Amino acid sequence: MPFVCAMPTVRQIILSSVIVLCAAWTFVPSAPAADSLTVYSGRSERLIKPVLDAFTATTGIQIELLSSGTTELVNRLKAEGDRTSADLLITNDAGSLELARTAGLLHPLNMREVERAIPAQFRASDNAWVGLSGRFWIIVYNTTMVKPDQVKSLLDLADPKWKDKIAIPNSGSEYLQAGVSVIRATHGDEKTTQFLQGLKINADSQVYQKSSQIVDAVAKGQVALGIVNHYYVYRHLAAQPGAPIAVIMPDQHEGGMGAIMNVAGVGIIKSAKHLDSAKLLVEFLVAQAGQKLFADLDKEYPLHQDVKADPALAERKSFRAALVPLSKLAELREATLTLIEQVGLR
Amino acid sequence: MNTIRHQLASPLQLVVLATAGILLLPLGYVTAQALSADPAVWSRLWATRIPELLFNTVALAGSVSIITLILGVSTAWLVTRVEFPGRRLWEGALVLPLAMPTYVLAYVYSYLLGFGGPVEHFWQLVAGPQARVFSPHSYWGATLVMALDTFPFVYLLSRSALLSMNVSFEEVARASGVSRLSTLWRVTLPLMRPSIAAGIALVILYVVSDFGAVSLLRYQTLTYAVFQQMTGRSDNTAASILSLLLVVLALIFLITERWFRQRSRFYQTTGRYRSPQRRRYGWLGSIAVTGYLGLIVGAAFALPTSLLIQWSLSPEAQATLDSRFFGFVWNSGILAACAATGGVLIGLPLAYLASRRPTLLNLGCLQAAYAGYVLPGPVAALAVLVLFTKLAPVFYGSVLILIVAYVIHFLPAGLQSLEPALQQMSPNLEEVARTLGLGMRNTWQRVTLPLIRNGFVVAWVLMFLQTMKELPATLLLRPVGFDTLAIRVWMEASEEYYQLAAPSALLIVLLSLPALALLVSKDWRAA
Repeated sequence: MPFVCAMPTVRQIILSSVIVLCAAWTFVPSAPAADSLTVYSGRSERLIKPVLDAFTATTGIQIELLSSGTTELVNRLKAEGDRTSADLLITNDAGSLELARTAGLLHPLNMREVERAIPAQFRASDNAWVGLSGRFWIIVYNTTMVKPDQVKSLLDLADPKWKDKIAIPNSGSEYLQAGVSVIRATHGDEKTTQFLQGLKINADSQVYQKSSQIVDAVAKGQVALGIVNHYYVYRHLAAQPGAPIAVIMPDQHEGGMGAIMNVAGVGIIKSAKHLDSAKLLVEFLVAQAGQKLFADLDKEYPLHQDVKADPALAERKSFRAALVPLSKLAELREATLTLIEQVGLR
Repeated sequence: MNTIRHQLASPLQLVVLATAGILLLPLGYVTAQALSADPAVWSRLWATRIPELLFNTVALAGSVSIITLILGVSTAWLVTRVEFPGRRLWEGALVLPLAMPTYVLAYVYSYLLGFGGPVEHFWQLVAGPQARVFSPHSYWGATLVMALDTFPFVYLLSRSALLSMNVSFEEVARASGVSRLSTLWRVTLPLMRPSIAAGIALVILYVVSDFGAVSLLRYQTLTYAVFQQMTGRSDNTAASILSLLLVVLALIFLITERWFRQRSRFYQTTGRYRSPQRRRYGWLGSIAVTGYLGLIVGAAFALPTSLLIQWSLSPEAQATLDSRFFGFVWNSGILAACAATGGVLIGLPLAYLASRRPTLLNLGCLQAAYAGYVLPGPVAALAVLVLFTKLAPVFYGSVLILIVAYVIHFLPAGLQSLEPALQQMSPNLEEVARTLGLGMRNTWQRVTLPLIRNGFVVAWVLMFLQTMKELPATLLLRPVGFDTLAIRVWMEASEEYYQLAAPSALLIVLLSLPALALLVSKDWRAA
């Protein structure tokens, strides 16, 4: 049998296989050390990791970070139940946090630091989740292709004249869902359906997974307009100051609904194994130093009243936000998803 | 004969039945969920998404399998039947795209062909400033990327068929006055049919369950839609419905392939052959062949890799190379090795029984093993997660759960090469060994296993490579702090940070290379 010499025999292969399989058992993660926290984050790692690193640098508490989609993580927490190793959930959307709260996944908080720092409209009634930073759903446009007075409202984007000229996020993105909920609450289902149908036709295949891609497409002139959270535009401009893009704060006209606001926030998991450290992290995030990181690094609007937003952003007092309360996003969500599906957004 | 069958029956049969049962659980979970769904959800999906998604998925699978058939068989034939300078080199190079994950190829091509990308710049120099190239974010973009990435499956299996095929069949045809072309058409290709069909089936399953490329190219297939549903909605009813459709679709492909293969079963009669004679071409022919192969390997591997190297050397990318990076490398390698090993150990008894005792039960068990691959990664992952938390919560949060998902998901890739290997070996050989007084165990060790070793090794390597590149199940099931290279690539590439994604992507490619080297090493070529 000439083939035996060069290669390991099948028996050797099987033997080594068994050894490898046994080795796999050693990778069963041991219980996390006492001074470490496990954070599930629905925010892009790029945006949240620097803030968490700053926390580790200050307190010495290590953080294990699992970055994924917000809804995906809420689903995961539901499936894991009490066995989860997560101590905190950070998301990009208040509606998801409220859903997690109503599903009994979050731990109510009684912390004076939180109540002092964050206004009540940006927290759950029992503080089971706490807003950390504000973002507005805005229109980004290419300054060489569009005049800023051509578009006043988000609803204008359904106009057939923008056919193939706009880019939108996919229907799974939590802030699109939140945005549609706010439009429904303001304008009713019929008008919202018309808007979404127009939007779908105009965007056609320009449906993106990530907001940064939308900003990129607008900056390159691939499309003229896009709908994104404001900070993606300012982050792009900070990296490439000459990019021909600018922001339209929509629906500010007389009788308009106001810009759609959402918050990124945090909640402590009900079965958290490191409750004290988790509270320390929340305290850090709502305090001025933590809030300043969201403002400076991420270009979001800090929710702490004494912390200023990045000067490049529109002054927060210069525009109106839509009047739909954040906690309402959760109850509106199911019907919103049905509507989105009926329209057939991608 | 009867004693062999009798002795084979009990333990092996039980193992196979148990395995099939476990493999079927996720499918059962998804089916139950889809069928118990509110009919309103069904009708809404039919009215909105399903027709588009079904059409897109079938159209992509169709175009990719036609292109891979042409690329795979022609390249296999060239390197086995034609002699030209550097032939041995090309023989290996054609496998290289297997080391390239679809999402890496997709992001490289969305850069190359994208709006304002280098290809467009070049084309505008030629055809005027308004000229546009076809968008990579389209049907044709997805077809191009998927075909370039998957043709080596067809190539590998065709090549191994051409090498292990008994040349005397062709020689008889030639001696009887049949022309070369006609011999190819009437003798060689029909003999290769089981292998080609297996290769195409692999390609189709791969395309249908791919998530990475179609999501980056924003081409809506069923699998992509399932992932979007799963990550965007709190209940996965709609995802289960779409998954069920996907399973049915893939089953149709598989049953067709199996039926096709049943009709053309060939046995080799000896263990060793002369290698076929290779025709020599003139220098013009050699240049044409080299150009053809160079174009394919260039587009599928050399060009993307050189871009990855260039990006990896950029200062932005260099900054990400810290100690975390070694963790990702280790995670990827160990996960892939475990999954491949587990897959081979589980797949072997299944394929063996189905081939030696093709009863309805055994064939059914084998088909059950294909369930995981047609369940898109995310659904298989979620089903495994829920099953584990219900049945064996101790393992929850361990790597084991991820490995189980991988094995369920990628077992078909292994079976596709274990099966033909077993089929090509005549059962007579085992029977002779038994008649000559060898025991069951000895027969396995000294006859069966050595003869099927090729298939065994190919199966392991294929599963290793696919696990290394796996994305959606890893995204959903990875324990905290267990990011793999694939996850890193995905995180950066999905935001078009090409440079930052490059080092991880390049490492996946590099880590896959030794495994590929094993695939093409001549030592174990059909002996």
